[in-house]
Formats: sequence, C-alpha cells, structure tokens
Amino acid sequence: MKTSATEGPGPSHGADVAGRRILITGVGSFFGARLARRLEADPDFEYVAGLDTRPPGIELRRTEYIHADIRDPAVAGLVPPTRVDTIVHNQIVRRPGPGMSSAAMHDVNVIGSLQLLAACEKTPEIRNLVVRGSAGIYGAEPHAPQFFSEDMARLYPLRTRFQRDVGEIENLFATHSRRHPHVVCTMLRYQPAIGPSLDSQVARYLSLPVAPTYLGFDPRLQLVHEEDGLEALVAAVHRPVRGAVNVAGPGTIGLSRLLRMARRMSLPVLGPLFGPIADGMRRAGHAELSTDFRRLLRYGRGVDTHRLQHEVGFNPSFTTLAAVQDYISGSAGRPAPASRALA
Amino acid sequence: MEGEVHELVRAALRRLGGDYPEDEWGFDEEFVRMVEPLLGLLHDVWWRVSTAGVANVPARGRAMLVANHAGILPWDAMMMSFAIQRRHTQPRHPRFLALNWAFELPYVSVAIRKLGGVVASPHNASRLLEQDRLVAVFPEGVKGTGKPFRERYRLQRFGRGGFVEVALRTGAPIIPVAVVGSEEIYPKLGEAPVLARLLGAPFFPLTPTFPWLGPLGAVPLPSRWRIEFCEPIETAGYGREAAEDRSLVLELSERVRDIIQGKLLENLVKRGPAFL
Repeated sequence: MKTSATEGPGPSHGADVAGRRILITGVGSFFGARLARRLEADPDFEYVAGLDTRPPGIELRRTEYIHADIRDPAVAGLVPPTRVDTIVHNQIVRRPGPGMSSAAMHDVNVIGSLQLLAACEKTPEIRNLVVRGSAGIYGAEPHAPQFFSEDMARLYPLRTRFQRDVGEIENLFATHSRRHPHVVCTMLRYQPAIGPSLDSQVARYLSLPVAPTYLGFDPRLQLVHEEDGLEALVAAVHRPVRGAVNVAGPGTIGLSRLLRMARRMSLPVLGPLFGPIADGMRRAGHAELSTDFRRLLRYGRGVDTHRLQHEVGFNPSFTTLAAVQDYISGSAGRPAPASRALA
Repeated sequence: MEGEVHELVRAALRRLGGDYPEDEWGFDEEFVRMVEPLLGLLHDVWWRVSTAGVANVPARGRAMLVANHAGILPWDAMMMSFAIQRRHTQPRHPRFLALNWAFELPYVSVAIRKLGGVVASPHNASRLLEQDRLVAVFPEGVKGTGKPFRERYRLQRFGRGGFVEVALRTGAPIIPVAVVGSEEIYPKLGEAPVLARLLGAPFFPLTPTFPWLGPLGAVPLPSRWRIEFCEPIETAGYGREAAEDRSLVLELSERVRDIIQGKLLENLVKRGPAFL
C-alpha cells in the first residue's frame, strides 16, 4: 500500500521497503482489538503491538500485548524499543462509566495523550500518528451550521468536560506535529458510533426502559456504523493525511424517527426536568447519559465528510439510516447492551 | 372522503413506525404534503395571495431567492414556497434560511426544519446551493424581523452582503422577490425588552393581539398579499473569486435591495387597501 499525504511533504515510512510496524493504544477496547486483528492479517504489517490495561477481548494471533497504563510515565520506556512507525491512539474515553470517575477519564484522555507523545519523541522511527478523536469538539448548538467542516472546531466555546479534554488532546497533537514536521498527524473526529455488537452511548440510550427526550425538540443525529468506524481507522493508517478528518455515515436521522424505528417508547420531558429524570434513571441502575450526549439529544449535530471521502479516500458503506437499521435488526433478541460484555 | 380518512390514518400509522422520508437537512417532504391543505387555505382564503413572475424561478439547478421579511415565523417563506407549488409549471420546494432564534424554540424548530428551514448561516446556504437547490434568504435578518409597523416595507440594511458572497461563490443566480402583505400580519406596535431579555429572545413584540390573547395572538392577520418574482441576476459570470471583491459584493447587494424596494412600492399600489 503506497501512502501519501495530501499536504506537506509525503511521509516515507519503511512501508515501501520492509513491513510497517504499528502500535495501537486502547487495544482492549472494541475498536482497538478489531483494528489489531485486521492489521495482523495484513502482510504489509510486519509488527503489531497493543497497549492497554485490559487485554483484548477477542483472540489475536501475533499482536504483542503490552500491559501498561497509558497514564504511567513508564510508557515512555515501553514504546521506543518497539521501533514502530505508526501509532493509532485509540484510548480516549468518551463517557464516565461504572468504575471510572470523570477525573480519571480526564487523566486517561489528557495525561495519557501527553505520555504517549513524550514516548513518540523518543521513538525516531515514528512517521504517522492516527487519533480516534471525537466530533464532540464541535458541540451541539442550536445555531450551528447543520454540517460542521473540519475548520469549524472552535466556532463555539467548549462547554463540557469531555469537550475540553478533546480540545486539549487536539492541541497536544497539533503542537507535536508542528514541532515534528516529518510526522503526519491525523485527527479523526468520530460521530457517535452504533452497531449490533458495539456498546456505545446510543445503544445504552436505546436500552433505557423509556427514552427521555426534550419536549418539543427533535434533533438531527449523525452516526457511524461500527464497521465503518473500524475501516476508517484502517484507511487512515494506510493513507494518512494531516489535520482533522470527520468520520460519520452520510445523512442524518431525526431522534424521534430513530426511536420509532427502534420501537422505543419516548418520554418527552420539559428542558429543566431532563437532568433530574436522567439522573434518577441512573440511580435506578440504568445507563448514564453524559452531558455531551444530553446536549446532542437536544440540538443534534451533523458533520461534513468530504475530506474523509476525497482525501482519505474512504467511503462509509453504511449511511446513518442504514447503520440504525443494521443495529435494530442485529440487536433484536440480544440482551440489553448494559449487560453485554465489553467486546 | 372515507378513503381519504383511511389514507390519512394509514400514513399516520406508518409514520409512527418511523417510516418516512427525511433528507440530511431534516426536510420531510411527506410532512410538507400533509400541511399543504392548511397552507392552501392560508394562501387562497386568508391572505388571497396573487403571484407574478413565477416563471423567473428556474425549474432546476441552483438559485437564490432574496426577499423582504418581517415576523419571527417564516410565513413569507411558506407562501413563496406554496405559490411555486401552485403556479409553477415544474414546481419545486425551496429551502429557506430561518432566524437562528427559532431553532431554540420547542416545536417551532422541529416544524421549521421539516418544512425546509435551516439555520441562517452562510455555510448552510453554500452547501444547499452546491446541492443545486433553490434557497430563499432574507438578508434583512433580525432587523427585518423586528421592524415596527410604521416602517413596514421599508427595507432595512442588507447585512454585510453575505448572501451575495454565497451566490458569487456558488455561481447561483439571484432572484429578487417582493412580498407584499407579510409585513402587516403581525403589526408590531411596541416592544417589551425586559421580557425579551428574560426569554433570551432578540425582541419581544407587542401587537394588537399578542401577547394579550395568548396563543391566539400568534394568529396572523388576514392581509391581502402579492408576491412578485423578479428577473434573475446572473452571478456565474463573475467567477468564484469575485466573492472576495468587497465593492462588487456591496454593489450587487445594493442593486438587489433597490429592485426589491421598487417592486414593493409598485405592488403596494397595485394591491390597494391592506385588509379588504
């Protein structure tokens, strides 16, 4: 696979001569483990490593599992000996879950990225960094353009803790690529993912006994199918481009339409009561809705995917609507996502 | 009649199952068809709209309708759209840029979006035009929306000419539209700035009926309307870079404004008394 960047000097990693060497952080997660399995089947990659505190949930053949906490300064000593040319940073936590406070989430996101970049500076072979970031940086705003393009990240103030985390991560990587111009940094901005085997925020929301909605609002949501989410990472590894790239399925879906298709009962709630009701549901043992996700449920968000399609050269095979349909037909008869093991 | 009722019930059940069309903007053509009888009633009986120059609206390809504007609710956009449905040989649904504040309102935001409204942003306008759609814009913006009754049909400043920049960048022809009647439906006599601040609204209008009659006060008055679509002004010849030419942008913006103002006065005379 020939690689080329669209701007600036093209990266010349050892890919053309020997095989590529790649490290995946967060290899214990759904996308991390599947990306590792995908790349170890590819003879272009002579070495695949995965770093995480959780071992990958699926069986991997030749991926070297490095047991380490990304927040730990020891990471700076673990990465250089691997002599990797590419790192996929897939350890960004999107929601505080059970067993992870929002402070710990902030640590993993920001301090983790910092430690990783420090390790990169000690690894001279590095040519590409691919980050599975979030379109959450755009926020969910009533007056926003209906499709954010990559240059609109700072149109609105970063309102939530997660948004500020993502903002800080993007700054760290932008600074790194400025200081190391030979490294191509690709910041993938993912819309929320959905799919039959993925435990995502949308899936958790749909697992609630009734889905709370904002009375009188019907936001446009844009999602990415789990398979496209994975393939977009693969595409970015093969064809890194500089800067941010939005990742989403084409098209949008209204929340009320999504709930009707999924046959979920909705509970329209007056704006000020939404928080207390969602919190009450969490205390009753149901899934938690993050602040970001709540804003999404009120105002929605769409992104422009021109760059993904024309510069990375990846065309998602599921539109937002098709992703929802696949989720619904695939998750029928399965246990609720909350009780499903993290794949 | 019975068949129609059955049809309606079937459509309602199907929609409850989530089976309805919706494009990436949230425009819902089926919803538009469902409310068309109501729009037809407003068009024919309530406002008695007469239309001129509808053939100036191209049957296909990108084009920008530029019109005068008053009131928060986009009745003028709805009537322009319905007039095109009714009178054009090859009707199409225009998308329209609506006041940002409307998108914070419960229900109103949903209805506007389903009817083809988008947040008034040049990014939205450009994307819609690049998709070769018909887009209606109201460059008076919030200043037009909050016009007092005594200033009706006096066009406000056309912002900074942003709509011309978008038209030049996308090469879309500009079709000036004069809408007479829409500026009398909510005669704004005064304002309640304190209430506006409390609600986070750009202004809080006081009309003879609003807010005194509650929700009934939002019923528009039955003025008589005339809509004239003027001849297109081509912009493709200037080239994309012309969008950066400030003097050209301001000049075109002023030209469009003059055309609409002239046509407004002409149609006001032709229409005669507002409410008879």
